[in-house]
Amino acid sequence: MPTPIPLLRLSGVTKKYGSTTALDGLTVEVPQGRVGVVGANGAGKTTLFRLLLGLARPTSGSIEVCGIDVAADPIEVRSRLGYMPEHDCLPLDQSASDVVSTFAELSGLPARVARQRASDILDLVGLDEARFRPVGTFSTGMRQRAKLAQALVSGPDLVLLDEPTAGLDPLGREEMLDLVARLGTFGISVLMSTHLLDDVQRVCDQVLMIDGGHLIVAGPTESLLERTGVLTVDVGDGRDRLVAALQQRGLTATAIDDTVEVAISDEGQIDVVRDTVAELTLPLYRLSSRLTSLDEVFLRQAVHT
Amino acid sequence: MSTVQQPGGVRGAVYDRGYRPYDGPRGGRRAATFGLYKATLRRALGIRRPWQQKVAPFVLLAVVTVPAMVDVGIGYVTRDRTQDRFSIITYRGYVGVSSALLLFVALIAPDIICPDRRQRVLSLMFARPLTGTDYVLAKFGAMVTILFSFSFLPQVVLFVGQTLVADGALDYVRDNADVVWKVPAAIVIMAVYYSVVGLAFSAITSRRIVAGATIIGFFLVTSVVSLIVVGDNVDGVTQSSAATLLNLYALPLQLRDLVFLGHIDPASTLHGVANGGAYAVLVYLAVVATGATVLIGRYRWAER
Repeated sequence: MPTPIPLLRLSGVTKKYGSTTALDGLTVEVPQGRVGVVGANGAGKTTLFRLLLGLARPTSGSIEVCGIDVAADPIEVRSRLGYMPEHDCLPLDQSASDVVSTFAELSGLPARVARQRASDILDLVGLDEARFRPVGTFSTGMRQRAKLAQALVSGPDLVLLDEPTAGLDPLGREEMLDLVARLGTFGISVLMSTHLLDDVQRVCDQVLMIDGGHLIVAGPTESLLERTGVLTVDVGDGRDRLVAALQQRGLTATAIDDTVEVAISDEGQIDVVRDTVAELTLPLYRLSSRLTSLDEVFLRQAVHT
Repeated sequence: MSTVQQPGGVRGAVYDRGYRPYDGPRGGRRAATFGLYKATLRRALGIRRPWQQKVAPFVLLAVVTVPAMVDVGIGYVTRDRTQDRFSIITYRGYVGVSSALLLFVALIAPDIICPDRRQRVLSLMFARPLTGTDYVLAKFGAMVTILFSFSFLPQVVLFVGQTLVADGALDYVRDNADVVWKVPAAIVIMAVYYSVVGLAFSAITSRRIVAGATIIGFFLVTSVVSLIVVGDNVDGVTQSSAATLLNLYALPLQLRDLVFLGHIDPASTLHGVANGGAYAVLVYLAVVATGATVLIGRYRWAER
């Protein structure tokens, strides 16, 4: 069985602007899927996107996107990519339909197909009713959707999304993340740059963390969400009784908000907690190991590097 | 897909189209460049834009066609009085009317270049299979196409109209056969020149009004400087001066005369300057080359 082509293969990629090093020796192989590129502002995310699009050359190292060497054939790479920048980038005096169909033609699609696909994709992103309105009259959320539409219209293998939820209200952010999550079911890989780790945790199955131009961690999202050695127990109103009982048994337990958090050092202590709840005849709504968040992973790794 | 049984036994179908991957034909750089060329033409002509955007190009087309229609009208009215027949314009002179398109250049060139930079659309364009040179070629091609069309169509009206009102249509065509190549050749020379200069100035700034004013100012200043350096006629005699070449607004007209007359117009202050025609061609090429260099240089960052 042939090995699937990785989405990205970066080998010792360094990018310098004068004396400033934007990316420093990135070496990583990322499988197909939804990948979050996480980093603080100025971490090198946008530089990475420019390198992937072939709009900038690495100072050293090589990059492959979907198995294609970017340095050797940037045009072929771009014909298979969709790109949604963070900033406003749409012609404001043209209708969404015109904008999206024009960008489909610029991706090499025949004119008639471009118009048909523009209609379909605007429908998909929820702009079917507004397709003939000038983009300048759109709200921030609608503009983000139009930007996503132009990235998808050519049927790309991979879309690069640069801060897709930036500037959106909570509802708009939810809708955008739902759209991004759906892209995986369409067979489109996603590389989503963001500094909002919650967004990545929600929709991405792989994570690349960059800080100061260095790759600090890369891998499946799940594997990064380590168990923290803290047990979360929800027993409703009986949490104070449970805390007291657990402390009598030598465990460190604290009531936090509506739950009880218990520090455990071995699996046997989980049984002690369960038995204590049973002895107190408390209702057990939840008993789970708390996972660390991506924020904690990022902060810990950033400190270590 | 779900099916619906309607009264009368007619079956309908409801499709959830969702997302459909595209696996049809996909052009490369050439298709992308042509797509941008078409989009630029549409923008310049106001197609798929509010009606206000259509006014300028089509009013201008109407205005530059008026002399041809008047000339043909005179020919028609005087068709039975050969001795009264006169013409208000020649084919060579009519090419000069194209220089009136300078206003159009100052309006359109910034409109098809500046918003791409100002609204940061370039980052989307160059994420496509398109290079900086392709971008420049598409914009330049569209600009030349429009200027050529707006200059050539009135000439076609003039030629066809005069042929129809002439005493002998075949004789008229035979007598004026040379304009069939001279007119398009001269118009191409002017269209290329004004397009390159207009686009080069527009590429420097992201503000349309600044670009438009710079284009007009550039040609105005060079023509005034040339007039000052060449000086007035002495005793009614035109003074020859190579400084005429400083007039970059009228420069293409010197090349037009080379096409139509085979030499510099005797009425021109360049007439009498040794190798004046050759110098005019050299200055023309230098201006076009400079403009092209500026244009390509501005979009080199997207070049691989």
